[in-house]
Amino acid sequence: MAPTKAPAAPSSQNPVVLLWKAYNQQTPDRLKFIDAFLFFLMLSGIIQFAYCVLVTNYPYNAFLSGFASTVGQFVLAASLRSQVNPQNKDEFKEVSPERAFADFALGSIVLHFFVYNFLG
Amino acid sequence: MFYPLALLLLAVTAQASVLTLKSPRFVVSDSTGNQLRAEPYVPALVNTRASSPVKLGARENLKITFQVVDKEDEKGVQPHQTFIRFYDESTGEEGIQPVRVTPGGKAKFDLNLSKPPLYLPPTSDEPLKVSLIIGTPNYDPISAPLFDLVLPRSQPAPVHPDEAVFHPRPELQHTFRPEQKVPNKFISLVFSGIALAPWFVLLGLWSQVAPRATGLFSPSILPFIASLGAFEVLLFTYWVKLRLGDVLLYGGILGVVTVFTGRRALSSIAAKRTQ
Repeated sequence: MAPTKAPAAPSSQNPVVLLWKAYNQQTPDRLKFIDAFLFFLMLSGIIQFAYCVLVTNYPYNAFLSGFASTVGQFVLAASLRSQVNPQNKDEFKEVSPERAFADFALGSIVLHFFVYNFLG
Repeated sequence: MFYPLALLLLAVTAQASVLTLKSPRFVVSDSTGNQLRAEPYVPALVNTRASSPVKLGARENLKITFQVVDKEDEKGVQPHQTFIRFYDESTGEEGIQPVRVTPGGKAKFDLNLSKPPLYLPPTSDEPLKVSLIIGTPNYDPISAPLFDLVLPRSQPAPVHPDEAVFHPRPELQHTFRPEQKVPNKFISLVFSGIALAPWFVLLGLWSQVAPRATGLFSPSILPFIASLGAFEVLLFTYWVKLRLGDVLLYGGILGVVTVFTGRRALSSIAAKRTQ
């Protein structure tokens, strides 16, 4: 799933910077779109968890539903990204990208339903 | 109309005769036969008792003798039922023993404390009230208090294992978990701001990498997007005011619509992709 490294690069550069450059150059825009969403979900989940640990878990059901919504949505979006990635076409022969998006939409709606139920 | 009158006549003729006791005596003697106390007593048909309580030691013997006779003609009567009753007023325990009466009406009752009989109630320091109960047809019944009897202390009556259940139990004190507090308002606001910050991050990132939404508003795709948006609106409305049955119903209808619009939208995209 990770993009291949750039072939010609000076060895003095930081591998993280190299990775970032390669990612920027080689990932299609649509996948970057989904990646931004994944990053946002991760941030949101971390902040909610930090609040629960630092301040209070008083409406516990609210914390659980919020956290579970970020985690669940992250899982769904990650699976959508892996199924939609053209480089994975051989791995997902019987799942077309449209089918992947339909699954993602259905899963998201069910997840939202349960989250709203638990939110109170 | 004659019925009450007939009953009254019957009651008058049915007035029973009266029994009485002739030469009643009680004797207290010790184990060697010496008489410690012997007196006649006047059997009271109203509530008077013997002069002083009768004390009975551990090895002493109490003997009560009397003869039951008809009051008018002084003939001996053998009653159907003759009992001596020992009653402890403080605890409510009692013991009853039938007395043998000869056909001539003579009765003798023995209480030997060297072999304490089983019918005696548990005794404490309170005296037992002894009374005589006689019942027989055609005569008025007798329930005559005789005297107070002081016996040596015995074991108290055994307490039933379930006795505690029949009295009020001690009150239960519940300890409830203390109420959970809402944290400080300022902290809540600060953290609300921090929690909403990722949205700005997302919008910033998306502004840089947004793919071209060319076909978004074409007539084959827009209904699908609209029905997905309608689902989200439905779920939010469910959170705010709907009930489960309603949301499932609306969701079912909307789901059917979404299936059709989705197939159309996605198949058009697939056609465009595979061209």
